[in-house]
Parts: sequence; C-alpha cells; structure tokens
Amino acid sequence: MEDVAAGVSLQHYVVLSMILFSIGVYGVLARRNAVLILMSVELMLNAVSINMVAFAVYTAPSLFEGIIFAIFIIAVAAAEVGLALGVILRIFRNRGTANVDEVNSLKW
Amino acid sequence: MGDAWILPALPVAGFVILLLLSPWLPRKGDWVAIALMATAFVLVIALGKDVSDAIGAGSFQGTARSWQWFNVPGYIEIRMGTFVDQITLVMLFCVTFIALLVMIYSTGYMHGDRRYGWFYAIVSLFVASMLALVLADNLLLLYFSWELVGLCSMLLIGYYNEKQSAAEASKKAFITTRVGDVGLLIGVLILFTQTHTFNIHHILSMAEAGQINERWLTAAAICIFAGACGKSAQFPLHVWLPDAMEGPTPVSALIHAATMVVAGVYLVARMLPLFESVDGMMELITTIGLITTIMAALIGLAQRDIKRVVAYSTLNSLGLMFVALGSGAVGAAMLYLFAHAFFKALLFLSCGSVIHATEEQEVDKLGGLWGKLPITAPVFAVGALAMAGLAPLSGFWAKDEILVGVKNGEMSQLVVVALLISLPITAMYMTRVTLLTFFGKPKDHHVHEHAHESAPAMTLPLMLLAALALVSGFVVFDGVGKALGFHSGWLGFVYNLGEGPEKYSADWAMSISSVVLVVFGLAAGWWFWSGEAKPAARAAAFSPLIYKLLLNRFYIDEVYQLAIDHVVLAAGQVVAVFDRAVVNDTGVNGTGEATDFLGWIGKHQQTGKIPNYALAIVIGVVVIAVVAFGYRG
Amino acid sequence: MTQIFFYIMAATVVGGALGVVLVRSVVYAALFLVMSLLGVAGVYLLLSVEFLALVQVLVYSGAVMVLIIFVLMLTRVEDLKQHLDGDQRPLAAVAALSLLGAFIAVASQTKWPRYDGDLTVVPFTTISDALFNRWAVPFEIASAVLLVALVGAVVISMQEEGER
Repeated sequence: MEDVAAGVSLQHYVVLSMILFSIGVYGVLARRNAVLILMSVELMLNAVSINMVAFAVYTAPSLFEGIIFAIFIIAVAAAEVGLALGVILRIFRNRGTANVDEVNSLKW
Repeated sequence: MGDAWILPALPVAGFVILLLLSPWLPRKGDWVAIALMATAFVLVIALGKDVSDAIGAGSFQGTARSWQWFNVPGYIEIRMGTFVDQITLVMLFCVTFIALLVMIYSTGYMHGDRRYGWFYAIVSLFVASMLALVLADNLLLLYFSWELVGLCSMLLIGYYNEKQSAAEASKKAFITTRVGDVGLLIGVLILFTQTHTFNIHHILSMAEAGQINERWLTAAAICIFAGACGKSAQFPLHVWLPDAMEGPTPVSALIHAATMVVAGVYLVARMLPLFESVDGMMELITTIGLITTIMAALIGLAQRDIKRVVAYSTLNSLGLMFVALGSGAVGAAMLYLFAHAFFKALLFLSCGSVIHATEEQEVDKLGGLWGKLPITAPVFAVGALAMAGLAPLSGFWAKDEILVGVKNGEMSQLVVVALLISLPITAMYMTRVTLLTFFGKPKDHHVHEHAHESAPAMTLPLMLLAALALVSGFVVFDGVGKALGFHSGWLGFVYNLGEGPEKYSADWAMSISSVVLVVFGLAAGWWFWSGEAKPAARAAAFSPLIYKLLLNRFYIDEVYQLAIDHVVLAAGQVVAVFDRAVVNDTGVNGTGEATDFLGWIGKHQQTGKIPNYALAIVIGVVVIAVVAFGYRG
Repeated sequence: MTQIFFYIMAATVVGGALGVVLVRSVVYAALFLVMSLLGVAGVYLLLSVEFLALVQVLVYSGAVMVLIIFVLMLTRVEDLKQHLDGDQRPLAAVAALSLLGAFIAVASQTKWPRYDGDLTVVPFTTISDALFNRWAVPFEIASAVLLVALVGAVVISMQEEGER
C-alpha cells in the first residue's frame, strides 16, 4: 500500500469529471459538424470513466467494479464510434453534407 | 259514487281503441266512441241519483276516494283520486250529454272526411281528460287533465291542417292558454309549498281557517285565477277563442261552448272558498268578467262570420258566469252553465248545419234561408232567443238568477246596472245574426239555390237541444226538480257550500226589468237589421271610427302581435345572438380552435434538428435535478 | 507532489476538452481530443490503475482517434471551416453551465466518505482474474458487441454498385 494520493481527495476527481462532462455537453449542443459532436460524446464518456474509477479506487478498492466498468466503457465506446462514423459517412454520401443542421427531413 | 273513476276510463279506452284500430274498423269505429260515451252518460245519470239521495239524507259535502300514488315517508304523500259533489255532477252531465250529441252529429257533418277515425279518437281523449278534470280531488291531477284538455283543443282546432289559418289558430290557442296555464302551475306549486298537500279539500279548509300566509295566498289565488282566465277566455286572454272557430263546427260546439271553456268556471267555483279568503279577489273576478262580457257583446255587433258571432256570444256568456261567481252565486253560475251548454251547443251545431248546407260562413253571402232550411232556421232562432234571455226560455231563468245573485251579493250595485245594460246589447247582436242569415233577401243567389237541409244525424240533435233550450230553465222550480227525481229544485241542489241550499223566489223587479230590456233589445235589433238593414248601414256610416273599432275587435290582437314582435322576438334575437356567438363560436368552436392553435404552437418544437432535441434533453435533466434537489434539500 | 501532478493532468484534460469544443478547425479539434484523452490516461495513472491507462492510450487515443481522423478526411470538412458552430450556442452554454451548477450543488451537499490519506492500489493480476472469472459473461458479450459493430460498420459504409 503506497501513499499515492496524499492531498488529492475523491472530490477532486469528481469535480474534474463534472467539468469534463459539462464541456462535453456544451460540445454536443453547440457544434454543427457530426464528427465534432461525436468527439464531444467521447469527452462525456471519458468523464464518466474517470468518475467510476475514482469512486472505485477511493471507496471500494477490493471490489473494483468501477475499473471493470471503465474497461467496458472503452470497449463499447470504440464499437459505437465505429458504427457512428459509418452512419456519418453514409449520410455524407447521400446528402453531401456532414452538417447536422441540414439533416432535418423530420421537420414538421 | 266511489267508482266514479270509471267515467274517464271509458273514453280513454275509446281513444286507445280508435287510435290503434280505427283504420280497420267498420265506419272507422265511430260507433265505439259513441257507445262508450252513451255508457258514460247513463252512468252519470245513475251517479246523479246517488248524489241526490245523499243530499236528501242529510248534510252532504261530497264523496272522495283516492289511491296513493307515491309516498316519501315523513315528507310528502301524493294521492290521486276522485271527488264527487254537486258542481262535479253538473259538469259531468253537461260534458257527457253534449259530447254524446256532438258525436252523433259528427257522423253527418264529418262524413267522408280524411281523418274521420282520428277525429273521434281525439274527441274521446278530450272528453276523458275533461271528466278527469272535474272529478279530480287534488290540484296535481287537475293540472294534468287541464293540460291534456288544452292539448286536445289544440289538436282539434288545427284539425284542417292543410289550412295555414287553422295551424295559426291552434298555435294561438295553445300559447294563449299556456300563459294562463303557467299561472295555474305556479299557483298550485305555491299552495303546495305552503300547505304540503295537493288535496283540494285540505287546501280549502286551511285557507278558510286562515292557516296559509296571506301574501302567498293572494299570489296563489291570482295565479290560479289567471289559469282560469286563460282556459275560459276572459280578458285579456280571450284572443284565442274567436280564432278557434277554424276548427270543425262540432268541435266548436263541444269544446268552445259546453265544456272546455267552462273548465275555468268550474275551477273558480271549486276553489271559491280560497278566493273568498283573499281580499279584493272577488272584486277582481267580477271586474274581469264584466269587462269580458260587455266587450264581447259590443264586438259581436260588427262581426261578419256567423261562427265568430257565436264565439263572441260565448265570451259574453263566460263573462256573465264569472260575474256570478264573483258575487259568490255558485248556484246561479252553474245554472247558467247548464242552460248555456244547451243553447250554445245548439247555436254552434246549427251554424254547422248552415255551413254544411251552403258552404259559406259570411253573412255577406247568406240571407233568406228561412224557407230553405226548415229545421235549422227555427232551432237557430230558438237558440238565439234563449241566448238573448227572453222569458220563458232557459236563458231568461239563468240570467235572472245571476242578476238576483249579484244584487244580493256584496258587490256594488253598479255591477247590476252594467249587467242590465249588457242585456239589450246581447239581444241586439243575436237578432242581427239571425236576421242577416235567415231573413231578408238572399245576397248570393248561387248559394241560395244550393242550400239544402241537413241529414237527420245532424238535425235530430238540433231538435233535442232546441227542446232543452226551451224548457231547461224550469229546473229552478222545486216541483220540476222533484218530478225529475231530485229532492228539490236547482238552487237546493247546487249552492255555495259556505251558504247552504236556497229556495227559488222570484224577484219581480229584477225579472220584469230584464224582460223589458230584452224585448227592447230584440225590437231594436229588428229595426236595425231587418229587410235591407238600412238603419244599420246608416249607423255604421254615422260613426266609422266606432264601427272600425268593433269590427277589428278593439285591435287587441294587433297590440299583442306588436308586443310579440318587439318584445318577445327581440328578446329571442338577443338570446339567439348569445347562443351563436358565445355558446357556439366561443364555447364549442373556440375550444376546438384553441386546441388547434396549441397544436400549431407545439408542432414547431419538431425542428428535425438533432442539436435541438439534445438541448431539450439536457434542459429536462437540469429541471428534474433542480426540482428533486429543491424538494429534498 | 501528487497534487501538482493531479493539477497538471487535470489542466491537460480540461484544456483539451475546451479545445475540442471551441476551435474553428475540425483537425485541430481532433488533435485537442487526442491531448485530452492522453490527459485522462495520466489521471488513471494517478489512480494507480496502470492497465486502464494503457488501454486508454492504445485504444482510445490510438485506434479511435485514427478512425475519427480518417472520417474527417473522407467527409472533406476542411472546405467548411467557418460553419462549425450551431445557432444555439448561447442556449447550449446556458444548459451546460446549469448542468455543471447542478452537479456542483449536489456535490457540495453530499457527505463524502472519510478519507485518511491512504489509498489501496489494485494489482493488475487481480483485475484480470476478475475480468475472466467473475465478469466473464460481460466480457464475452462485449466481444460480441465489437464483432457486431465491426460487421455493421462495414455494411453501413459499404459502397453499392453504381453509387457515388
């Protein structure tokens, strides 16, 4: 057992993850390019991972579900990015644009 | 006597049978109606014997029998039943007898008519409701029958439903009597709230004992009297009766002479103790009756349609009956009702005979029919003389009793004077119509050529009625009464229950003055209208204003129409605008349009852009977090 | 010492994130994302989960970012530099900030668990033990997910005959 975390408490990590998540939310809402939105989603996923791991390490290290969870997040995120990018490519080929504001045929 | 409920039940059965089966019965089933009516009449005679025996046996206050209709324990119990006393008996006799004669007469008059069976069905229903009305022991049943009677009257007035004027007349009759009926309903309900019973006897005894609040009692009395005015065509609700002549003549004879219009007289007679308990009520009744009788007599001087003249004579008579009641002279009023039933029905049915013979009603087309109608003409004259009150016809005795009753009553003697003045006027207009119709030169030769006497089915009832109009007045004498099987004369039989039976005594001063006035009126009528009727023409030319006023019935109808146009219809317009603008446009349509508008606003949320939806999600999360946080923290 | 390291890593992460959402060029944004992800790996190191830091660098900032940059190339967004930000920027900022505010409010109200300066390090072998024993089924399912995603991505972005 090393004294690795002197001075850095759980709250630090939680606040960091919160800030990262909020920035990701802003990115999702404010950006127009589909790929940029996807990148912001990645930020959000990472924020969640940090949160999970921090809680796992600080409160229940013997169970380490948080770490496992973070591994799975990474795996699924990778899969999801692949698929999403495929969809974006498809849309780009059909519409000629990757701008989400112009993909609005479900408008009233 | 306790089984008096059978009496209305018989014509009801007739109504149902005729309504359902009449197209398949031989002669459309008129014999069913006539047979049932004859049975009812025989039963009435038997009933009369019973009542007479009961009076002779001791003090008789009437027999009642009732069945419970519904009962709310501790609050109200409504019973339905019959009550038989002398007034009831007189009405029962008149109704069934005249109805029987009219039905027999109609087999000739209405022969071949398109809706023959329906006619007899409705007449049966009418008789049934009239009988129920006079037998009712409680105001609720009376009101039901009152309304039914009005309904039948409306149906029969509008019998010739292809004529616009008939439809208008039946509507007018129904609405005018409705105004009165509303008053009756309000009066009945006021009495119910004050006394918690509908039973007439309980109400009357409570009124006499002073147990009803005075103001409510006055209101109820006025309202009930309004109902009587409506049905009995007193001023100002008299306007429907002349127009009701649009109906077939037998209907006019039955309903508007002998039975329905005297329902109001019956009601006032029945509720007399109530009216006597209210200050000023008797004066009101007398005044209205007086106005009606004199107004009707004056208008009758100028009318050109013979049925209308007879209608105004009915109004004349009804006014007289009310004046009699206003002085508490129940016996006199009922005697006049009794005699009037005969000679008025006679007048109407002979009018019908004239119309049947000549297809004309206006005196401008008639004249000189005495020789052509050997039965109709004399009986009409008999009826006219009885109406005028010539001694010793029935009309004289009845009018005499009324004069005596009013003189001995508590009304001012001016009423007697006014009645005496109305006597010659009545005589004059009856003479006029007789002369113009049957005497003088025929004004339309074509009509005169084709006039023919009517069938026996029509003339036999006429002759019977004429005989009765001649002699029915003699029932005032004790001797005559005993000979008929009653224990005394008329006044010992029908009397004001508060005062007790009377004996007939002749008031010579009154009788002689009335005879003189009547003869004077007859002579004046003869002078004015015999032959070429030149004096009448000169009188009309002398004062065209008065003539116009009389011819147009004092313009009362026009005033009412104006009021309706400008008040009722205007109010209707307001309501219609309210209904269209507020209820329909705003309420119903508006709700739909508001929903539509909200939907239109809502649809703009669907922009199709993903960032917008994502924003909505985030905002939703924040809102929920704030709410939850605020709730817990 | 740990604190300084933490703040440096935090700055990297946040700075990179801000770069992703604010710059006007997609390629720059992608590069900022790489920086952010590397910062996250550093945070994992701080938390003594080296395996996760490793995986993060390899998979996330390696493979995933390459994928993204490839797509950026294929969708030719260099030509559309000026149209990167949508019309709801102000509202988005408000939403994000209120979200952050909500988080902070919640965080300040929470009773954090008592921390006395000791942090247990989880050995890597235990993690792998758990992954293949206790969490074997999710692991297999995750592999299936990856397979499906692979096939799906190929199918979706396949160019049909005669397509542009």
